[in-house]
Amino acid sequence: PFFVNRGGLPVDEPTWERMWRHVGRIHPEGERGAQRVRGAADLPQIPIPSVPVFQPSTPIPERLEAVQRYIRELQYNHTGTQFFEIKKSRPLTGLMDLAKEMTKEALPIKCLEAVILGIYLTNNMTTLDRFPISFKTHFSGNYFRHIVLGVNFGGRYGALGISRREELMYKAPVFRTLSELIFDFEEAYRRCWHTLKKVKLGHCVSHDPHSVEQIEWKRSILDLDKLTREDFRKELERHARDMRLKIGKGTGPPSPTKDRKKDVSSPQRGQASPHRRNSRGDRRPSGEKKPADSKAMPDLNGYQIRV
Amino acid sequence: MDPSAGARKERPKAREAPARLEKARQRSAQQELKQRQRAEIYALNRVMTELEQQQFDSFCRQMQGGGQ
Repeated sequence: PFFVNRGGLPVDEPTWERMWRHVGRIHPEGERGAQRVRGAADLPQIPIPSVPVFQPSTPIPERLEAVQRYIRELQYNHTGTQFFEIKKSRPLTGLMDLAKEMTKEALPIKCLEAVILGIYLTNNMTTLDRFPISFKTHFSGNYFRHIVLGVNFGGRYGALGISRREELMYKAPVFRTLSELIFDFEEAYRRCWHTLKKVKLGHCVSHDPHSVEQIEWKRSILDLDKLTREDFRKELERHARDMRLKIGKGTGPPSPTKDRKKDVSSPQRGQASPHRRNSRGDRRPSGEKKPADSKAMPDLNGYQIRV
Repeated sequence: MDPSAGARKERPKAREAPARLEKARQRSAQQELKQRQRAEIYALNRVMTELEQQQFDSFCRQMQGGGQ
């Protein structure tokens, strides 16, 4: 299971107890592993990281490195309880308020929180385009979901984010095409035995922190099982072209293709609703169970390589 | 001036001070709780991060040992 703290901070007692119960269940030492920390008198004080500020002359790639360092300093959240509730359908202004709270409270985060934070910390970089990139992968009979914040600066693509795996988060803005960036992620997934199944690309996010627009999370949905390699690449580049031309809602037609489909071969689902049963916050890391595939994986007590 | 008017003015002010103090006390308590929770969260995260890394390393060794 995967829990979300919905009651704000400080964490309320039921949520706090649930967090420790969960740790007691999954840690090999059980409750003992948890008790070593809980209530300990001599816990180190973790300094609150400083939000990076930049001189106007600081180049964008350097700023991105600093933003990524900041995100990394918060640490990936391995506790099993997500501390900030993200409702993807919220207007941007609400999500930016949440990002500000994240910087104030400074707690470990997961990938979706890192995307919101990345947007917040790059809003003043008006020459930098930001767009969400979601991945669905398959490993050992289960599906996994991950998200990073794609960036485009001067025609070079990169990414910001956080992950359990080093190769599935920050990418310096050096990739000449969006395809190269996505293929790099695909290869990184392959190195940890995950097979990339779907990529969802969002549209560019407004730089206005007070915008009431919603983030468009899945402007293009690409199902790798139903696309040839070349078609996959073409769809990625079409999305890149749409972003370059700033083709958005009501601002003009998207780039023409032979059979223009926003969603290639996958029925488009509605945006995640905060109360939907399978929203990101409540979804198990090993989301949808599928029949076991034929490839045998070593069984490390059911260990799943999560990303 | 009516002497009781002065007394009436004093009473609301007298009530406000303890209420303000109580709010400040609650805020301080909440802040302390947050700090304590944050320290425990990061200590727990360290334990769980190490656990995850051990499991991942062990899995990778098994996969490489299997000739993949």
